[in-house]
Amino acid sequence: MTGIVLVVALVAFGVVTGATSGLLGVGGGTLMVPFLTLAAGMSQHAAEATSLLVVLPTAIVGSLVLRRRGIGDLGLALRFGALGAAGGIVGALLALALPGHVLRIMFACFLLLVSVRLVRDSLVPR
Amino acid sequence: MRATAPTSDPPPARTRTVLGLEPRFVAIGVAGGILSGLLGVGGGIVMVPLLVIWAAYAQRDAHATSLGAIIPISCASVITYGAAGEVHPGPALALAAGSIAGARIGAGALSRIEERPLKIVFGLFLAAVAILMLVRG
Repeated sequence: MTGIVLVVALVAFGVVTGATSGLLGVGGGTLMVPFLTLAAGMSQHAAEATSLLVVLPTAIVGSLVLRRRGIGDLGLALRFGALGAAGGIVGALLALALPGHVLRIMFACFLLLVSVRLVRDSLVPR
Repeated sequence: MRATAPTSDPPPARTRTVLGLEPRFVAIGVAGGILSGLLGVGGGIVMVPLLVIWAAYAQRDAHATSLGAIIPISCASVITYGAAGEVHPGPALALAAGSIAGARIGAGALSRIEERPLKIVFGLFLAAVAILMLVRG
């Protein structure tokens, strides 16, 4: 994709990832990175860096909307995130030393279990 | 009017905290960050399940807290990646224009959605991410 088509596609995809981000409390990088590599032809590294720059304003706007509606505790979330950022540095360093492939498969299985539990919890009447 | 501080009152009893967070939340915050950095997935995908399962957060509060926590996390990451100079500003601007509008829609929907459909939607999202992780290795 090139030119105006790409710009329109990027804005439209941005709306989708932004809505997902606001609803599910995720950054949206998981959706954006594959899109940027496949549709915009970026390298993995450039796609990750670019998506991070989009995640930041998206999270700020979503959090401000939620704060105005009285949902969640933004102050607590920011402190929580500061610890997460510190942990992220440790994790990135660990990733260099540990077998990432195995860990990713294990975590994917954990996510599948969580998703089954979430769907089951919501379908089984209490 | 500012009265002189009464010095007779003892300070309120409190458990030990880090940044005003209870130990369990400290553990989840740090663990979430480590897992996220280790696995190359976003913080939210790790933090939301941890907050719901280990901290017994209501689904909606877990999502809101996760989104707020992403602000400092992505700040740190942007600084790290920005130094590498790999950001493509044009595409980032186009995506951000859309995603800022989308975030308002999504956050508005989170404030209205019921617990059950939220769990189903997030469950399906996690399943999709898990499959993506397995396929891409």
